[in-house]
Amino acid sequence: MRFLHLIVVAALVSAAAYVYKIKFDSTLQAERVAKLRADLQRERDATASLRAEWSQLDNPTRIQGLVQRHLALKPIVTTQFDGFDQLPERPIPTVPDVNDPIGAMIELSTSDALTGGITAPASRSPR
Amino acid sequence: MTVAALDDVRPARPPPAAPWHRRLVQAALYGDNVDRDRKARARLGLALLGFALIYCVIAAKLAMFAISADGHGSRRAGPGDAVATARPDILDRNGEILATDVKRPSLFAEPRRIIDPDEASELLTAVMPDLDTNELRARLGGKRGFAWLKREITPQQQAEVHRLGIPGVGFLTENKRVYPNGPEVSHLIGYVNVDNQGVAGIENWLDGQGLADLHRAGFASDRQQEPVTLAADLRVQHALRDELIAAREKYKAKAAAGLVYAVRTGEVVAMASEPDYDPNNPREALDKDRVNRLTYGLFEMGSTFKAFTVAMALDSGRFNLNSTFDARSPLHYGRFTINDYHAQRRVLNMAEVFTYSSNIGAALMARAIGIEGHKAFLRKMGQLDRLKTELPESREPMVPKHWAEVNTVTISYGHGLSVAPLQAVMGVGALMNGGLLIPPTFLRRSEAEARKLGTRVIKPETSAIMRYLMRLNAEKGTATKADVPGYYVGAKTGTAEKVLNGHYVRTKLLTDVMAVLPADDPRYVILIMLDEPHATAETHGFATSGWNAVPVAAKVISRIAPLLGVEPRFDLPPADRLILASARQTR
Repeated sequence: MRFLHLIVVAALVSAAAYVYKIKFDSTLQAERVAKLRADLQRERDATASLRAEWSQLDNPTRIQGLVQRHLALKPIVTTQFDGFDQLPERPIPTVPDVNDPIGAMIELSTSDALTGGITAPASRSPR
Repeated sequence: MTVAALDDVRPARPPPAAPWHRRLVQAALYGDNVDRDRKARARLGLALLGFALIYCVIAAKLAMFAISADGHGSRRAGPGDAVATARPDILDRNGEILATDVKRPSLFAEPRRIIDPDEASELLTAVMPDLDTNELRARLGGKRGFAWLKREITPQQQAEVHRLGIPGVGFLTENKRVYPNGPEVSHLIGYVNVDNQGVAGIENWLDGQGLADLHRAGFASDRQQEPVTLAADLRVQHALRDELIAAREKYKAKAAAGLVYAVRTGEVVAMASEPDYDPNNPREALDKDRVNRLTYGLFEMGSTFKAFTVAMALDSGRFNLNSTFDARSPLHYGRFTINDYHAQRRVLNMAEVFTYSSNIGAALMARAIGIEGHKAFLRKMGQLDRLKTELPESREPMVPKHWAEVNTVTISYGHGLSVAPLQAVMGVGALMNGGLLIPPTFLRRSEAEARKLGTRVIKPETSAIMRYLMRLNAEKGTATKADVPGYYVGAKTGTAEKVLNGHYVRTKLLTDVMAVLPADDPRYVILIMLDEPHATAETHGFATSGWNAVPVAAKVISRIAPLLGVEPRFDLPPADRLILASARQTR
């Protein structure tokens, strides 16, 4: 009988200890969750203000001002657009003449294949 | 109560054997025929039941706490939380930010807890010199529990004030609405007041969409709200606004406004009205001169209205492209004389009436249709009723009270009826897109949705003829300067004399142009409008639409067409060949 009492008391104590441990852990976890939430919120706020700053820097008026001040770019005109079907064929690479290496080198340096030159566009009459 | 009820259910039997005096005492104390044992047992049972219920409630509550343990410190709405509530971001159609929230600290004081107001105000003005010393002292010296000292201070200022260590002074983090693009999209999105409530534009519309209710309930305090995507394209908007500013300066105009409208969906891709304001500085918006002329202004649109007249004539079936109109002599109506600006003094056909912008021709058409027919057509085109969009700024068109024949005649060429320019654009959009009147929107909308919303107002064949008339006008009519090579632009110009003290003034003009891009398969209608432009040396002394609004439209088109993905084509036939082809198809 006394033995049974001892077992019950031991079980009670261990159960209490276990519950205490769980409670302690859960408090720790909850604190961590709260901290992460706060961090997330801070990060989100920081992202928002960075994004706002980025779009302020990316503002077309500002970009246009910078371009006009620093670059020599001009607005695009319609004749500068072209379709894929108007693309010229890739030029056929010329086979260098093995008998005349110096001549081949000269030819290479002046040929279109090396400089990637573009053939004259097909004549069109922009009305 | 319950005890009595229990008693009633089972009437007590008389106890079997008890001495008479006992029975007497019992009867005197408790009444006759009452079984005390039974009663005691019932009371005990009731008490048991009561306690059991209470324990059940406690257990249930415990279970509930265990389930929603999640809220352990996360929903701590501390005093430092937002006061001005969050709003959703506003994005353009490509996801560029037009409006967003940024957290900013605000400085407040609890005057009751401040020990020395003079010292506190001295310290605070040392950190923030822009604070008014006297006002600050008055606020700190009061007996109130709470007073704002300065809304939206910088983090540096916050740190400095914190370092001062004044008791009774604290910070609240607030959501501050910022518009990174400044005045670029001012009229579109509107602005908010210091408490983050929308005052104008889309911001105001947002509040009407339940956001205000959320605010009141206090749920809209963090930024977990879906962003709102507009139909506007920031790049197109910038190009349009940039050209309008340049034009306003060049022609010394009072105002300049422009609109890019997608005819198939009814989306407003860009809208600018100069002068505008910076939504970050809402005080500017109160200036009367900075109203949105496209939705809130009412204007007599001038000859662009002839597009409606011609469409009405063609759609009625009583006229075709070969119909002729005698424009040899001016028309007389009482004190009015209707004359042509580009007078030809000969008989004109339908296309010539359009390209020479003949007032006489348009008047003859409208007169043939009659007052009622004309009215019904304009009503169908949405020109006589108030146009409702997301923007709260709108006005009822100014329609003549007594619509006589002279009104029909003048309205046929765009005088005597004042409409909001956006309204006119919607109507011209319907003439171009095949005959569907689609209500304009500032939010994204797909073509299928637009088709469902649209109402058929003219026949597709009429629309086809109208497109090529527009094109013809850009090829050899009044709008030749709008013809950007490659884009097959069609356009109709309009020049209206403005009314001053009840009289039309020849020198105060409103010039506008409606351009369609591209004319064979329209995708966009572009409106450019200048208020009181002046002649320059470059325009040879002219101030009519063809000399100022039209070149601006051409500049805008050449800038925005690549952005809108309109491909330049150089292989299209001139308009008259296409008109003949489409006229043959309809026959």
